[in-house]
Amino acid sequence: MKLKCSKKPAFPWFGMDIGGTLVKLVYFEPKDITAEEEQEEVENLKSIRRYLTSNTAYGKTGVRDVHLELRNLTICGRTGNLHFIRFPTAGMHRFIQMGRDKHFSSLHTTLCATGGGAYKFENDFRTMADLELLKLDELDCLIQGLLYIDSVGFNGHPECYYFENPSDTQNCIKRSCCLDNLFPMLLVNIGSGVSVLAVYSKDNYKRVTGTSLGGGTFLGLCCLLTGCETFEEALEMASKGDSTNVDKLVKDIYGGDYQRFGLQGSAVASSFGHMMSKEKRDSISKEDLARATLVTITNNIGSIARMCAVNEKIERVVFVGNFLRINTVSTKLLAYAMDFWSKGQLRALFLEHEGYFGAVGAFLELLKSSEDA
Amino acid sequence: MALSGGADRGSHSMDKSITLPPDEIFRNLENAKRFAIDIGGSLTKLAYYSTVQHKVAKVRSFDHKAKVSLQETDGDPLYEISVQEEITARLHFIKFENAYIETCLDFIKDHLVNTETKVIKATGGGAHKFKDLIEKKLKLKVDKEDEMTCLIKGCNFVLKNIPHEAFVYARHADSEFRFQNTHPDIFPYLLINIGSGVSIVKVESEDKFERIGGSSIGGGTFWGLGALLTKTKRFDELLQLASKGQHTNVDMLVKDIYGGAYGSLGLTGDLIASSFGKSATTDKEFSKEDMAKSLLHMISNDIGQLACLYAKLHNLTRVYFGGFFIRGHPVTMHTITYSINFFTKGEVQALFLRHEGYLGAIGAFLKGAEEDNPNQYSWGENYAGSSGLMSVSPELNPVQRARSGTFDMLEMDRLERQLVNLPLLQDPTSYIPDTVDLTEDALSRDYWLFCFEDALDGVVKRAVASQKDQPEAVERAEKFRQKYRHKLQTLRHQPFAYGSLTVRSLLDTREHCLNEFNFPDPYSKIKQKENDMALKYYLKVVKSVEELSWEQRQFTLVKGLLAGNVFDWGAKAVSDVLESDPDFGFEQAKQQLQGMKTFKLSHNNDKILNHKLFLTDK
Repeated sequence: MKLKCSKKPAFPWFGMDIGGTLVKLVYFEPKDITAEEEQEEVENLKSIRRYLTSNTAYGKTGVRDVHLELRNLTICGRTGNLHFIRFPTAGMHRFIQMGRDKHFSSLHTTLCATGGGAYKFENDFRTMADLELLKLDELDCLIQGLLYIDSVGFNGHPECYYFENPSDTQNCIKRSCCLDNLFPMLLVNIGSGVSVLAVYSKDNYKRVTGTSLGGGTFLGLCCLLTGCETFEEALEMASKGDSTNVDKLVKDIYGGDYQRFGLQGSAVASSFGHMMSKEKRDSISKEDLARATLVTITNNIGSIARMCAVNEKIERVVFVGNFLRINTVSTKLLAYAMDFWSKGQLRALFLEHEGYFGAVGAFLELLKSSEDA
Repeated sequence: MALSGGADRGSHSMDKSITLPPDEIFRNLENAKRFAIDIGGSLTKLAYYSTVQHKVAKVRSFDHKAKVSLQETDGDPLYEISVQEEITARLHFIKFENAYIETCLDFIKDHLVNTETKVIKATGGGAHKFKDLIEKKLKLKVDKEDEMTCLIKGCNFVLKNIPHEAFVYARHADSEFRFQNTHPDIFPYLLINIGSGVSIVKVESEDKFERIGGSSIGGGTFWGLGALLTKTKRFDELLQLASKGQHTNVDMLVKDIYGGAYGSLGLTGDLIASSFGKSATTDKEFSKEDMAKSLLHMISNDIGQLACLYAKLHNLTRVYFGGFFIRGHPVTMHTITYSINFFTKGEVQALFLRHEGYLGAIGAFLKGAEEDNPNQYSWGENYAGSSGLMSVSPELNPVQRARSGTFDMLEMDRLERQLVNLPLLQDPTSYIPDTVDLTEDALSRDYWLFCFEDALDGVVKRAVASQKDQPEAVERAEKFRQKYRHKLQTLRHQPFAYGSLTVRSLLDTREHCLNEFNFPDPYSKIKQKENDMALKYYLKVVKSVEELSWEQRQFTLVKGLLAGNVFDWGAKAVSDVLESDPDFGFEQAKQQLQGMKTFKLSHNNDKILNHKLFLTDK
């Protein structure tokens, strides 16, 4: 995918996606700075670069996903590394303050931002740090970002992967693939909430539907049920739990398979269905609850995605979003669900950079716009 | 479904726990046959077929062709009314909590006389758990029937036989319940059954249906998660909490992310972007009510969304919701209605069923009664014996709240003839015979309910008078009064209890109550007297009307029609006058007509009305 940049914007090059729960930041670190350029570089720009690239954690909650770094990327005539940083939206004001403290506004760079927060925090950026945001539509950015990363690849490897033999959860193998013949695809973005898009071409897409049972629900319910505080904790617990103690299965109701309708005894008939009984409530662990929450939310998303794929007559379903970050339970479950319920007609695909595509899309927009700040 | 309040409570004193004596709940047991039972997670529905013997007034006219002209002074009656005993086939359905199963079974066994029946059809998740108990107590073999099959058969039956069975729920409209007319062709439709889990069934014909999908997020999830989050154990309590909560404290809305609406996608700021989204990021405690509400929204919206996806795929516009999750609870019906409306952009409406709790039992019963071929008949609801739609809404007055959830009944009488639409109707589905809808028009409703209550004394007197020779007539008439008054009170608080409320249905209800206590037609003697008189003048009046000019004739006919109706209806003003002046004649009635501007004509049940129009001025 060739990028048309008529005029190179001033550094630093950022792309921001301010979501409901997380802020995703993409930062381009130029590695081809000439001595001349370095001399002319203003102090605060240098300090920003140093701060971002020499740390992998920022404050208490900011994280740089080093494993996702794209190295030696040439873009708009410059070569460098693309860094992926995230922090909770709850820390937004602190971030803006930092921007003020580092005199960001004096850098004359355009700050491209997408996601709901671009609208919600627009005023705060202006009043607190004298920064003007270039607001972009989150779905546009999502798609453009996705297409770009897929085209440049992940440090020589494909960005996209799927699971072979998804029905065998223990032994299913992760396999990479190319997204050639990308279109049409059903794109399911699982963030705090979920958006389902049907993408027909680079510029032709529509939002089919969405659901409010997303990553935010998983985390929110988990925190309430188990007392955990972070996504990582929740996933950790879920990986150790057994949801069949919490959920009521078909066999619990029918004593076996419900043959008439082709429902296996092991299928979940009612999520959390055992929890109305005090005895059962007392016998399950927090890990079981976390697992049940994860499975319930994941299966529901899978169900909706499948129905949409069938209604829109699309065979390829791509799942993105930070709900899937370090979440192999969900990715495998989604792969299985798509395969099973469609009897092999649908395929679930995943991308390594999960939730960062919006930020990448915003970053790309920066390079396209040739305004002189 | 897990059973709550187990049957292990042992022998249960019926008197303490129920508000009605058992023989008023399990009626007509002596001749009961064809039993069926549907045992759910917490409620049991029992069905049986029985016969009821009651009096019916039959009219037989005498042959008058021989007489050339009717003399005014001819004293012979023109027709005869005889009271005969008739047997009506009646279906009984009773709903009660599982805790009472054992005691109810004992009671039935004690009163069952008919020994023909050897089998009881059973369905529902609890059927296999209670199999042994039923077989032991009733000495009947339990024959299990597939739950889905029973549900669909039951659904088809109620949609075809009970008028205004399906309704649309509109929370903020004048009339919350908008009842739907019976469509001659009910197929195809989508049935979403929300029990512990959700089953989505496409029904194409009486025998062709398929479970096309489902969801594990259903009533069991609401109950289970609700119990975990709020420490509330009872389902109804959870619903009550939900009705008082503010979900916006717990859910992340579009405006929480965008600071407003997501305009380009048409997503308003108040839409839920992430259910329970705020519970991850804030430290504070959430109230039980708020969490319950969020949970209700989350589940209802999810089910609604899936329903829409399936409806779209199969091109279905009729979507019915059933299952214990709904139980006529306003908040649930509202959230589901909203969800369907949202996801189909208003193209499809969520439909609910008045008798959704009974579908399984009805279906199981029909499976067992296949020999009798119940579908070839038409069936009508017996208002006297049916408890009507009971909501578990917290706004219910305390009396009814105690009652609901204990015992609920539905009775269906087999009609003599199969009902068909009048072939002359241009569009049977849109035809509404009633000019006033009392479920919508509160003022008229108050007027008519009061009217009927006020007239009750008079009716009771007439009833007693019509059976002067029978000693217990007074007692029965009193029971009739209690029963009908109770019905009127129920309708005052819940106008939608039996579907659309109309003057016609109030009359039907009265008739059913009268029949209950063996008063087939208290007015029969009076009607006979008046009809005799009217018929004698008939030929004369027809002749005199024919001699009028065309225009005059139309006026006379219309005035006569109106006056006759006023006369017959016993509208309050007229009945007051009649009480005070028994000789009030037709002319006077016509004169009174000038003052009655707002009166509207309605349907009349009496077969001989038209003849009365031509009463002369005597």
